[in-house]
Amino acid sequence: MSAVKRGLAFRLSALVLTGAGVVLAAIVVTTYFLAREALLEHAEANARNKAQALVNRIESVLAPIPRVAQGLAYDLEDQGLSEESIFKRQRRFLSDNDSLYGTAVAYEPGGRIAGRTYYAPYTFRTPLGPKATFLGGENYRYHAMDWYQIPRELDRIEWSEPYYDEGGGNSLMSTCSIPFHKVENGRRVVAGVVTADVSLEWLKRLVAGTSVLETGYAYLITKSGTYVTHPSPGVAFHESIFSRAEERGDENLRSIGKDMIRGGSRFVTVTSLHTGKPGFLVYAPLPSTGWSLGVFYPRDELLASVNRLAFITAGLGGGGFVLLALLIVVISRSITRPLTRLTAAAREVAGGRLDAELPTPAARDEVRELAESFGHMQTSLRDYIRDLTQATASRERMESELRIAHDIQMGILPKIFPPFPDRSEIDLYASLTPAREVGGDFYDFFPCGDDQFCFLVGDVSGKGVPAAFYMAVAKTLIKAVAESTSYGAQRQGDIPGAPPSRRCTDPGRILTRANNDLAQDNDSCMFVTIFCAVLDMKTGELRYASAGHNPPVLLRAGGTAQYLPTRQEPVAGAMEGVTYTTDTLTLAPGDGMLLYTDGVTEAMNPAQELYGEPRLLARAERFGETEARERCESIAAEVHAFAAGAEQSDDITLLSLIYCGPEDDAN
Amino acid sequence: MEFTETKEGAFLVLAVAGRMDTLTAPEFETRCAACLEAGNKRLVVDLAGLEYISSAGLRSILSAAKKLKAAGGDMAFCALTGIVAEVFAVSGFNKLLPVLPTREQALARA
Repeated sequence: MSAVKRGLAFRLSALVLTGAGVVLAAIVVTTYFLAREALLEHAEANARNKAQALVNRIESVLAPIPRVAQGLAYDLEDQGLSEESIFKRQRRFLSDNDSLYGTAVAYEPGGRIAGRTYYAPYTFRTPLGPKATFLGGENYRYHAMDWYQIPRELDRIEWSEPYYDEGGGNSLMSTCSIPFHKVENGRRVVAGVVTADVSLEWLKRLVAGTSVLETGYAYLITKSGTYVTHPSPGVAFHESIFSRAEERGDENLRSIGKDMIRGGSRFVTVTSLHTGKPGFLVYAPLPSTGWSLGVFYPRDELLASVNRLAFITAGLGGGGFVLLALLIVVISRSITRPLTRLTAAAREVAGGRLDAELPTPAARDEVRELAESFGHMQTSLRDYIRDLTQATASRERMESELRIAHDIQMGILPKIFPPFPDRSEIDLYASLTPAREVGGDFYDFFPCGDDQFCFLVGDVSGKGVPAAFYMAVAKTLIKAVAESTSYGAQRQGDIPGAPPSRRCTDPGRILTRANNDLAQDNDSCMFVTIFCAVLDMKTGELRYASAGHNPPVLLRAGGTAQYLPTRQEPVAGAMEGVTYTTDTLTLAPGDGMLLYTDGVTEAMNPAQELYGEPRLLARAERFGETEARERCESIAAEVHAFAAGAEQSDDITLLSLIYCGPEDDAN
Repeated sequence: MEFTETKEGAFLVLAVAGRMDTLTAPEFETRCAACLEAGNKRLVVDLAGLEYISSAGLRSILSAAKKLKAAGGDMAFCALTGIVAEVFAVSGFNKLLPVLPTREQALARA
């Protein structure tokens, strides 16, 4: 029982909780991913903006420098400025741009003054104000230097790789070089280079000082990939993005570097070489220099809020789940508790306690309906069992009464064989097997007067109790008539009142009288067939009459058997006033009679075949020298065998008589 | 047991078919009572289709015949065959009740 209870509650809880758990997990996971997606999008836009803002700030400083330098270059080309105006221009250039450290106008060898290899007016910033000088000499061959040679060869504005200037300002610098031209032999050729040395200290501070979350950082690379600034010490100027990628075999970093120096701008997933953390890199170019700015965002810090959200969602979900679990356990308990109680009650009822009290659940739900149905069932069962008990008692009483009736009916039939041990003239045996407890067959035999012996067999119409009553009446009446002296006397025409000389020994008269008595007030129209015979034991004379009864078998001593022809006179009890005829024959010693009822000849086997008169006669012919009892028993056994288990439908009665001849005088 | 009623002049012919035993015999009595109720006092019972009759069947026939007689009518039987004819003969019903070989003879009675 406890297994059932646990099973239902457990299954209910497990199913609901599994479902709820799956839904909650799906919600938490979905929320997490959606939020992360949204946050990443937001973070990307944010990062791009931030990088762009930084780029813009740098550009605002760097962008004017090439423009001013270009202006100077144009003036040189167009006007052929004097040395003094060159210096003047240079001073103004310095005063206008705070980030400018120095500016030079470097000519080709002999380009300004024939025969003079180096001519390069240079103005630079000192703590005491701008100072003018000339660059070039045997120990400073500027024509071979990058800042001069590259823009000259490429004939375009060029920013140099950053360098640390120990001679000039002891600071990080980059030089912007712009070639200027002259016309020679009708061809435009490079006449020299205008330079502007930009201090990058501010840039370094700006980029390094850019704070990105907790451990994020920004860095700057030149168009060759060299780091200008980098949070790791010793990286700036010494390493390039490609050298680092090579060192660590990082293909991703290499392709990112390629895209960066190409001027690309993207938001990509990377693992920081600096901190070792996974994260996102946003990079954007600095248009004026061709450099690129990269900003790294650590993933965990960027997603911290998403993770916090996920934790909160998971926490809420988990809490809800626990709450739901408690609720379900309570609900399933409340459902199964009445069921459990009902089960216990049902078990009591099943155990026979029909008046066991059933629980009535408070809630008007299915369990209550079940309990009510169960109550109805209990009531019906109680009523049914009460009825059944009564019916059984009533049937038992009836059966008991029928058993008693059977005993009584059997009791009124003579059953002591041989009936007259002191008379050797006759050997007689009779048997009666009712189909039910009581039946309508009967037999009787009794002496009636000197040496007269009356015997008869009867069969009442129908079966059961009515037949049994009628049989008792018929048998009693016939015996009464046969033993009545007055009746016999009257019919024989004796003088009324005279003492009777002998009893009635005429079977026809016995039947006539019995018929009249039976037919009177016989509203039920029952009737009885009777074969009645009276044997004179001295002479062997047999007088007999039949009231619609089956013809008996006459067995001669020699072994021949035949049906005794009867006059087919009506059954007794059917109609008043019928006169029955007495016939006479004589039995020799050893002759016999076999009386029976139709229960013998109409016994059926399972194939619905009748035992029939031919079989009975054939059986009788094989009797030989057997005794009366043996004859009855052999026929009964044969009929029983013939029926082969088929239900006996009618009473079976047999009466066998053998006349042994008169008593010896000696006896 | 099956019954077929045919009106033949003053007579009502009741043809009975099947088996008349303890179970079915009361049907015959009920049927005869119904015929009498309907005003048919003279009945000819055609037993050509009757296969079997038990003592309970005989009792029902006797009972029905007596009731009809008490009401001033009569009942004749005809066309008995096989075991039914034998039972009628052995039980002496041939002598108690009018039994005729054919339906025509039964109808030809006065």
